[in-house]
Amino acid sequence: MKPKSYRRLRFIRATLIYAVLISVALFMLFPFIYMLTTSLKEPKDTFVYPPRLLPRQDVAASIEGQPDPLPLYEVQVDGQTRQYALVESNIRVGIYADPSKPAQTYERRLTDVSPTGGAENQQTVMVEGQAKKLWNVEVDGQIIPMTEVRQTAVGRFVDPQNPQAEVYRNVRLSQPVQNLTAHPENYQEVVELQNMDRSLTNTMLVTFLVVVGQLTTSILGGYAFARLKFPGRNALFVIYLGTIMIPFVVLITPLYQLMVAIGWVDRVASLIIPWMFTAYGTFLMRQAFITIPKEIEEAALIDGASRWQILLRIFVPATVPSLATLATFTFLYAWNSFFWPLVIINTGNEANHVLTLSLNVLRGRASDTPNLILAGAAISIIPPVLLYILAQRFFVESATSSGVKG
Amino acid sequence: MNRKSLWIILSALIMASLLLSACAPAAAPAPTQAPAQQPAEPTSAPEVKSTEAPAQPAGEVTLRWRTRPDNKEETGVYASVSDELAKRLGFGLKYEPGGSESSSYQDVLKTEIAAGTAPDVFWIPGTDVADFATRGLILNLGEMAAKTQDFDVNNFYAGPMYHLTYNPETDKTGADSGALWGLPRDVSTFALYLNLDLLNEAGAPDPRELAKEGKWDWGVFLAVAKQVRALGSDIYGYGANAWWGPYGVWLNAAGGGFFNEDRTACALNTPESLKGLEFEKSLYKAGEDVAVPYGEDSEPPFRAGKVAMFQNGRWATPGTRQVDFNWDVVELPNGPSGTPGNWLFWGAYAVNPKTPHPEEAWKLVQALTEAETQGKIAALGANIPSRVSQEALDTFLTLTPPTNNQAFLNGIDPKSQPTAEGPLWAGSWPEYDAIMGPAVQAVITGDKSLEEFAKTICDEANKVFK
Amino acid sequence: MTATAAALPHLSEDRHTTLWLNVAVLWHAGFALLLAASGIFLLVSLADSTIPIATGLRVFLIALSLLGGVSSACAAIFITRRDQRGRMLSLVINYLGFVVCLAFDLHILGVYVGLDVLAGTFKYGLPFLLLGFIGYLIGAWGDRHEDFPQRQQAYRRLSQTISLIAAGLWLLSVGLLEGLRALLQQFNSPLPFILTAGIAVFAVLLRAVGRRSVAEALHTKRQHEETLTGLLFLSPNLLGFLLFFAAPLLFSLLISFTNSDAFNPPDWVGLQNYQHLLNVTIQPLSSSTQLANEVLDVKIYNELARFEILGQSYVIGAQDKLFWLALRNTLVYCLMAVPVSVIPALLLATLLNSKLPGMKLFRAVYFLPSVAAIVGIALIWQWLYNSAIGYINYFISLTVNFANSLFNAGWVDPKLQWLSDSNSALIAIALMAVWATLGFNIVLFLSGLQSIPRDLYEAATVDGANPTQQFFAVTVPMLAPTTFFVLTTTTIQAMQLFEQVFILSNPLGGPNNSTLSLVVYLYQNGFQRFRQGYASATAWVLFIVIFGLTLFQYRRQRSSSGAYEG
Repeated sequence: MKPKSYRRLRFIRATLIYAVLISVALFMLFPFIYMLTTSLKEPKDTFVYPPRLLPRQDVAASIEGQPDPLPLYEVQVDGQTRQYALVESNIRVGIYADPSKPAQTYERRLTDVSPTGGAENQQTVMVEGQAKKLWNVEVDGQIIPMTEVRQTAVGRFVDPQNPQAEVYRNVRLSQPVQNLTAHPENYQEVVELQNMDRSLTNTMLVTFLVVVGQLTTSILGGYAFARLKFPGRNALFVIYLGTIMIPFVVLITPLYQLMVAIGWVDRVASLIIPWMFTAYGTFLMRQAFITIPKEIEEAALIDGASRWQILLRIFVPATVPSLATLATFTFLYAWNSFFWPLVIINTGNEANHVLTLSLNVLRGRASDTPNLILAGAAISIIPPVLLYILAQRFFVESATSSGVKG
Repeated sequence: MNRKSLWIILSALIMASLLLSACAPAAAPAPTQAPAQQPAEPTSAPEVKSTEAPAQPAGEVTLRWRTRPDNKEETGVYASVSDELAKRLGFGLKYEPGGSESSSYQDVLKTEIAAGTAPDVFWIPGTDVADFATRGLILNLGEMAAKTQDFDVNNFYAGPMYHLTYNPETDKTGADSGALWGLPRDVSTFALYLNLDLLNEAGAPDPRELAKEGKWDWGVFLAVAKQVRALGSDIYGYGANAWWGPYGVWLNAAGGGFFNEDRTACALNTPESLKGLEFEKSLYKAGEDVAVPYGEDSEPPFRAGKVAMFQNGRWATPGTRQVDFNWDVVELPNGPSGTPGNWLFWGAYAVNPKTPHPEEAWKLVQALTEAETQGKIAALGANIPSRVSQEALDTFLTLTPPTNNQAFLNGIDPKSQPTAEGPLWAGSWPEYDAIMGPAVQAVITGDKSLEEFAKTICDEANKVFK
Repeated sequence: MTATAAALPHLSEDRHTTLWLNVAVLWHAGFALLLAASGIFLLVSLADSTIPIATGLRVFLIALSLLGGVSSACAAIFITRRDQRGRMLSLVINYLGFVVCLAFDLHILGVYVGLDVLAGTFKYGLPFLLLGFIGYLIGAWGDRHEDFPQRQQAYRRLSQTISLIAAGLWLLSVGLLEGLRALLQQFNSPLPFILTAGIAVFAVLLRAVGRRSVAEALHTKRQHEETLTGLLFLSPNLLGFLLFFAAPLLFSLLISFTNSDAFNPPDWVGLQNYQHLLNVTIQPLSSSTQLANEVLDVKIYNELARFEILGQSYVIGAQDKLFWLALRNTLVYCLMAVPVSVIPALLLATLLNSKLPGMKLFRAVYFLPSVAAIVGIALIWQWLYNSAIGYINYFISLTVNFANSLFNAGWVDPKLQWLSDSNSALIAIALMAVWATLGFNIVLFLSGLQSIPRDLYEAATVDGANPTQQFFAVTVPMLAPTTFFVLTTTTIQAMQLFEQVFILSNPLGGPNNSTLSLVVYLYQNGFQRFRQGYASATAWVLFIVIFGLTLFQYRRQRSSSGAYEG
C-alpha cells in the first residue's frame, strides 16, 4: 500500500513541477514566437484585433459579372455559417419601425424609402412627446409610414456559387475568410531599408574584436596580478577592484570628448578599442589563476619554461570555464551595447551602424509597419540565439562559474 | 609544430591581417569623413569611391546633406533628387537619411556638429531653430541671401519666414533683418482623417458636408464622435497622439496659446487657453470618453478600423493609403474663436557653420526648396510645398487620395489663422515642452485639476525664459 | 624567496655586452637631452598662443617630457654605474617609447580609423572563418582516435592544412593586399618615417638591454626580473585602463565642477552643479490642499512632493525636480524589478534542481532572453504592450471573459494602457526586465545550488527537518554568496536603466516623467541639452547611490552569513 501512495505522491509532485516549468517556459518563449510570426506578416495583418499568431491573408473568390475577385466573409445565412463574397460595402441604410409596433424593425436602403407626404411637407408623428418624421417603407408589397430608428451602413454579400443569393450584413463585425501565408520578403525589405546586413557584420566584427581583446588583456593582467610580484601590485589591484562598481555612464561624457579629440567619433574603432580593457575581466582571471597550485608553476620554471609558456600551456587550459565566463559576458555586452554607439556613431553614416543602432533608426522609420520592425529585431536576436543553441553548454556553464566566483 | 602553437600562429596572423586590412581606407576618403579633412588625395582607391559616393566629380567640392524622411519611399526620392541636383549645380552631393523623431534626430545632429562630423546642409524642425542658432550650430545666411539676386523671402509662407529671419540681436524680423537661418523644406498641417465606414455605420452626418455648410464646430464634432463611440467599447470617435501639436490646437482654437504675443512668457493659464484644455479634457476618459486613451498611439487602432476621426498631419497620408476601409480627410472643427486653431508645421534646411563651402551650401539650400524639388517630394503625399504659388497648390490638390485635399489647404490658409510652429528665442523650447507636456497630460487624465494647473503651470514654465 | 638566493651567478661581462651597454648609455643621454630640449621649448612657447594646443595639454606634455628626460638621464647614470636600476628604467622608458611611437604611428597611418573599411570587407572573410572552423572540427574529431596514433596524425595534418588555407584565404578576402598597399602609400610625409624609425630604435634598445648578458652585467636579481615580467604582462591592460578608464574618470570628476557644454570652453563653477542637483527645502503648509507656490520660493523651487506628520502638512520643494523624480523612479524600479527577478529565480532554480528528466531543456529555454539584445526585446514588447491590439491586453481580456462566463463575476475588461499611463509605464518596463533577466539569475542560482554539499541535506533529514525547513536552514544560508552576487549585479544593472526606457517610452522618460530614470536624465542633460558638466555631476551622484546600495547588501550578506556560521 505504502509504495503505491508514495509513487502517486511523486507523480503528482512531478506533474506540478512540470506544470510550473512549462508555463514559465511558455512565458519565456512567447515573445520570441510572436516576433518570428509577426515578422512574416503583411502590414495590414499586424493591425488586426483580436491578434492572431500566424500570418494570414484574405481569401478572395471570383464572382460572375465582377471584374476582380472579391473577399470572402463568413456570414450567418438561415442559421448556417456560409462563405459569401462582399460585393458592395458602405451601403447606407435606415432602420425603420411602425410607430404603433416599435419592436418590429425593418432595414431599408435610404434610397428605397421616400418621405411620407412628399419632401416639402413631410408628415410627422408624435412619439414620446417628440415629433418624428415619417417615411414610406415597403413591407411585403405594402407601403407603411414608419419612423426612422437610426441609420447605419451594411455590406452586400453574395454566394459565389449563386450570385443571386444575397444578404446584407455589418461588414466590420463579419469574419473574413483567411488562409495561412508567409512573407519572408519582409527580411529582404528590412535589409534594404536599413542596411541591416552591414550592421550585422559590423556588430560581428566589433563583438569579435572586443572579445578577443578583452580575453588577451585580462589573461595577461590577471596572470600578473596572480603570480608575479612587483612593487605596488596590491595597491594597484585594489584600485582595479574599486573601479568595477563604477557605472559606465560616469565615463560617457569625458570618453566622448576624448573621442572627439583623437578623431574617433563616428568610427568603428571607438566601439572596439576603448572596450578591450576591463577591470572586471582582469579580476575574474586573477581569481581563476590564483587557485592553480604554485608547485606546478615552479616545477615548470625549473624545467626552463618561460613565463609565456607557463601561461599558455598551464594556466590558460586550466581556467577554460573562467575564460568562457568572461567571453560570454563580453560577447553579450558587446553585442547588445546601445548607449555608447548611440552617442558616438553618426546617424547618417549607416555603414558604421551596429544592430542596436539600426533598430533604433528602424523603429522610427518603419513605425507603421510592425512586421518590418520585428523582422529587424529578429535579425539582431537570431544570430546570438543560434550561437547560444550551438554552444549552449558553454554559455550556461559560464554563467554558472561566475556565480561560484562571486 | 603541435596544434596549440598552430592556433597561436593562426590567431596572430588574423590579428595582423585585421590591422593591415584596416589600413585601406586611410587612402580612400571614407564616406563619413568631414569635408574639412577631405583634401584631394590622388592616391585614393577608386573602387571605394565609386561604390560609396555616386555623382561625385573627382577632386571637387562634395557636400553632404541630410533630412529626416517621413517614410521609406521619401528616402529614395531624396536620393534621386540629390543626384539630379548634383548634375545641375556642378558639385558633388551625398544624401544621407537621418533618423526619425523617436531616434532623437536633433540631439544626434547636435552631437555631430560638436564633434565636427555633421553634414554641410541639414534639415531641422522649426521648433529647434532658435536652439541651434543661439548655440552657433547653424550659419546665418542673411548676407549671402542679400547678395543673391532672384531670392525673395516672400516666396515662402510668412509664418515660417517670420521665425527664420528673426535676428535675436536686433529683435527684428523680415527680409531686411540681417538674419536668415534657413529655408523651409515644406509645410504641413493637421486634418482629421475620417473612417467613412465607421461614420456611416454609426449613422453620423458626414463631417465634410458639415464643413462645407459651415456647421463644423466643437459641439457638432463632439456629437459625431459620441455617435461613433456608441458602436462598441473598442470603437473610438476621435484619436490623436500625445504631443504639443494635438493639444495645442484646442488651445489655439479657443483663442489661447502656449505663449504670450511676443513669445516671452507662458500663457497657458489664460482663460482662453484653459477653455481649450477643458474641451480637450472632455474628449477623454475623465469626460465624455470619446477618444483613444490619452498617450496611446492612435495610429494602430485607426489603421485597424477602430477610430472614426484621427487627427494627424499630412505625413500620415502615405500610411493611411494602405488601409482597406473608405477614408477621406476633413479640416479641424472651428473653436469658440471661430477658427480651427490649426498649426502651420515646418522644418528648415540650415547650413553647418563649420562647412568649408558655405557658398555651395547656400546654393544647395535654395535648390532643395525650389518649386520643382518640392513638387517631387509632395507627390509622395507626406507634405505640402512651402512656396506660396497657385501652381504648387493646384498640383497638390491632384495628389489623391484623399479626395478632399482641400482640407489641408484650408488648414494653412491665412483665413483660418494657423499658428506657425516656431522656436523660442527667449528661452528653451525643449525645456518648455518638457514642463508643459506632463502637466497637460496630468490634467487630461484627471491627475491634476484644471484649477491647480491654472495656478501653478506658469510659475514653473516661466523659468525657461531668460 | 630571499634576495641572496635569487641572485644570478655573476660572470664577467664580455666585449659585446660592454658595447651594448655603452650604446644604451649614449642613447639615454641623448634621449634625455632631446626630451629636455623639447620640454623647454614647450615651456617657452607656453606664452605663445598661436600653437593650437590646449594649455592643460601643454602643461601635461611639459611635465611628461621633463619627467622622461630626468628618468632617461638617471638610466644613463645608473647603467654607467652598473646598477640594475638602470636596466629597469631603461627597459621601462624604451618600452613606453616603443608603445607610444607604435600607437601614434598607427594613428598617423590611419589604421584605427581604417577599421571602418575592415567592417565592410569583413563579411567576405566569413566563409573562410567557417572553413577554418571546419578544420578545427576535423582536428577535434581526430583527437578522439587516441588509440590509433596514425589515424590521429592524419586527421591532424588535414586539420592543419585546411586551417592554414582558410587563414590565407581569409587574409586575402578581407583585403590584406589593399591594406598593405594603402599602408605603404601613407608614407608620403616625414612623420610616419620618423615614428617608424622611432619604433625601430626603441625596439633595438629593448632587445639589447633585455639581453641576458646585459642583465648579468648589471647584477639583475630574479626578483627584478619578476618585476619586469609583471609590468610587461600587465602593461597592455594597464595602459588601456589608464587611457580609457582612469583618465576619463578623473576628467569626469573635473568636468562635474564646470559648466562644460561640448561647444564652448568650460568655466569652473565649483560645487554649483551638485548644489543645484541636491538643493531641497521643506516648508510647512497651512492645510494639505494649500498650493505650494504660496510657501515656496517659486523662483528657485518646484514642488516635489508633500507629506503629513502629526496633522501638520509639509511640502518638499526641489531646485531640480526632475533629478529627484528620476532618483525616485530609479529606486522604485529597483524595488520592483530586483525582488521579482531574484525570488522567483531562486524558486525556479530549486525546481530545476530536482532530478527529473528534461531539466536541461528548461534551463536552456529560460536562459534564452538573456542572450537577446535588449533593444530588440524592447521592440517586441512594445507591440505586446500595445493597448489596442497587443497580446497582453488580449490575454487579460480573455481571462476576464473566461472568469465572467465561469463565475458570472461581471468583471470589466481593464484595457490597460501599459506604456501610456503614468501609473503603469514603469511597472511595464520592470516586467519586461524581469522576463529578460530571470533566466540568467536562475542559472546562477542553479549553479549555487549544485555546489551545496549533499551531506548537509542528509544531516538535516536525520535531524528530522522537512523540505521547507531544509530550504530555509540549509539552502538559503549556503546560497548566501550566490545571492549576494545575483542581488548586486541585478541591482547595479537596474540602477542603470536606460535602453528599455529609451525604446519604450514616448516622450523619452514619459508619460508624465514616470519612466524618467537617472541615466535617461543624464542622457537628456548631457546629450540633448549639452549640459555635460551637470550630467557628469549626476553620474557621480548615481555612482554614490550604487556604491551605497552595494555596500549595504555586502554588510547584510556578511551579517547574515555570520549569523549562520555562529
